[in-house]
Amino acid sequence: MKKKLRDFIFQELVFVAEPNQFGDDDDLLEAGLDSMGIMRLIMYIENEFGVTLPDTEIEPDNVQSFNALERWILRHKNA
Amino acid sequence: MPLLTAFDRQCRNAPDRPALIEGERRLSYREVMLNSERLAAHLAARIEPGARVALALDRGIDAIIAILSVLRCGACYIPLDIKNPARRLRFIVNDAVVHCIIGRGNPPDWLDTPALWLDIDRLPESAQSFYPPAAIDPEALAAILYTSGSTGTPKGVALSHRALHNFADWATLTFKLKADDRIASLAPFYFDLSVFDIFSSLSAGASVNFVPAGLTLSPSRLTAWLLEQRITVFYTVPSLLGFIALKGGLTEQPLPDLTTLLFAGEVFPTPQLKKLCELLPETDFYNLYGPTETNVCCYWPVDRARLDGDQPIPIGHPACASELKIDAESSELLVNSVNNLSGYWRQGRLTEALEDGGYYRTGDKVSLNKRGEYCYHGRLDRMLKCSGYRVEPAEIEALILQCPEVAGCAVVGIEDSTSGQRPAAALVLHPDGQLNGIVKTIKQALPAYMQPCRLSVMDALPLLDNGKTDYQTLQRQLERH
Repeated sequence: MKKKLRDFIFQELVFVAEPNQFGDDDDLLEAGLDSMGIMRLIMYIENEFGVTLPDTEIEPDNVQSFNALERWILRHKNA
Repeated sequence: MPLLTAFDRQCRNAPDRPALIEGERRLSYREVMLNSERLAAHLAARIEPGARVALALDRGIDAIIAILSVLRCGACYIPLDIKNPARRLRFIVNDAVVHCIIGRGNPPDWLDTPALWLDIDRLPESAQSFYPPAAIDPEALAAILYTSGSTGTPKGVALSHRALHNFADWATLTFKLKADDRIASLAPFYFDLSVFDIFSSLSAGASVNFVPAGLTLSPSRLTAWLLEQRITVFYTVPSLLGFIALKGGLTEQPLPDLTTLLFAGEVFPTPQLKKLCELLPETDFYNLYGPTETNVCCYWPVDRARLDGDQPIPIGHPACASELKIDAESSELLVNSVNNLSGYWRQGRLTEALEDGGYYRTGDKVSLNKRGEYCYHGRLDRMLKCSGYRVEPAEIEALILQCPEVAGCAVVGIEDSTSGQRPAAALVLHPDGQLNGIVKTIKQALPAYMQPCRLSVMDALPLLDNGKTDYQTLQRQLERH
């Protein structure tokens, strides 16, 4: 899952010098993920992983890092 | 001073009404007046009328106080995006040849002349009073808004008191702003949308409520805030409204106080607009159109009955008493308006930007429909709209071409259904050239929305028969990538 998220975010949404050096806990918002990026990311996640992410949970804490994203998705995938 | 005349009247007639609200901090019209005069007194000791003053402050109460005090001194404000890379900030401050920079805390590292810095938290305790300069010439510059430039560096759109006043007045009247309106302010002050939030709101005696930073990342919290603050008027960009339509939870929490929703800056996809209209049945929607150089020159009160499938909505009828004409050959829209810029600010002076007769060439392709409404059909040049920001591919290319590893470079926009376009770059490298240095340069020089989402190394750029870069083919190649 993280590999897919990394590929999508680094190819489509956020420009980083060396994606391999970007840690799973590094700050995506600081790296340039903005509100339009989040909207595309959520649409991608819902399609790709077959989950519905509740509107009220779309907030910085849940999209801050790859680890945060994975935790968020898994909470809904297993629910 | 006509730009602030209506605001001054509000301060005299209803001094206790709320003017600026930012979190727990609330300032009445009287307090705004007193604070801006206090700062103006300090500024007047440092600058002359006609000076240029940069603002290194985030959108909020302090920035508005600073803007009002700069204007009171007969000077011109230049709002900076303090999240920009140091190199870009230094360029703007040097290009504008500013006389003072208002900020908070110690002078930042990017500032070559720390003596220009004025820290609003450490104003000297002098009790001098402020004596406003004699009448301000309406042609004097009130603001310079820097935007991406096609010549390779940012360019400053220089706007006079007359221009800002004409727009602010038109909007106050057209949208019937009243003293009991609560107007949400979200646009950064280096965007022209902020002219409405600041000057139309304060002219009407309304309150300006600052949307807390970070809420744009959480549409349902943003709508909860709009509801709780009982916002009546909101002017923002379609991409954010699209996010709210899809994920804002409006079915559970409608916005009964919101009477007027204005949007501009990019095309609002009709299906998303229609959805938002259904979620906000009592709100009046307006599509406003115009580049920073003309502010709003065309507008369309959204007719819900005409929102049909993917059919784009018109940009409508002339606004702000603008005279519009269409170039017969290219279909380019030309605008003659009191709002029009005075010129581009380049290297410390004003340069001509208008044609004979005062028309501004927008670079936008338009047509008239059967109802006599203007309709927008995209750009004639290569300018992109990325998350609501104007981006000139040539500015990105110029930067990349400075890298010693690069033999050739072309930047195109990749279409994106939610954020307009994203820049993507194709590179041709010299033998043994590596990407690392180029990536570092981009990171250091360009704000996030200008950084290419893709860097694609090619053996050669596709060319047309005449030897020029074939951008259309390149765009297809990069979109497939």
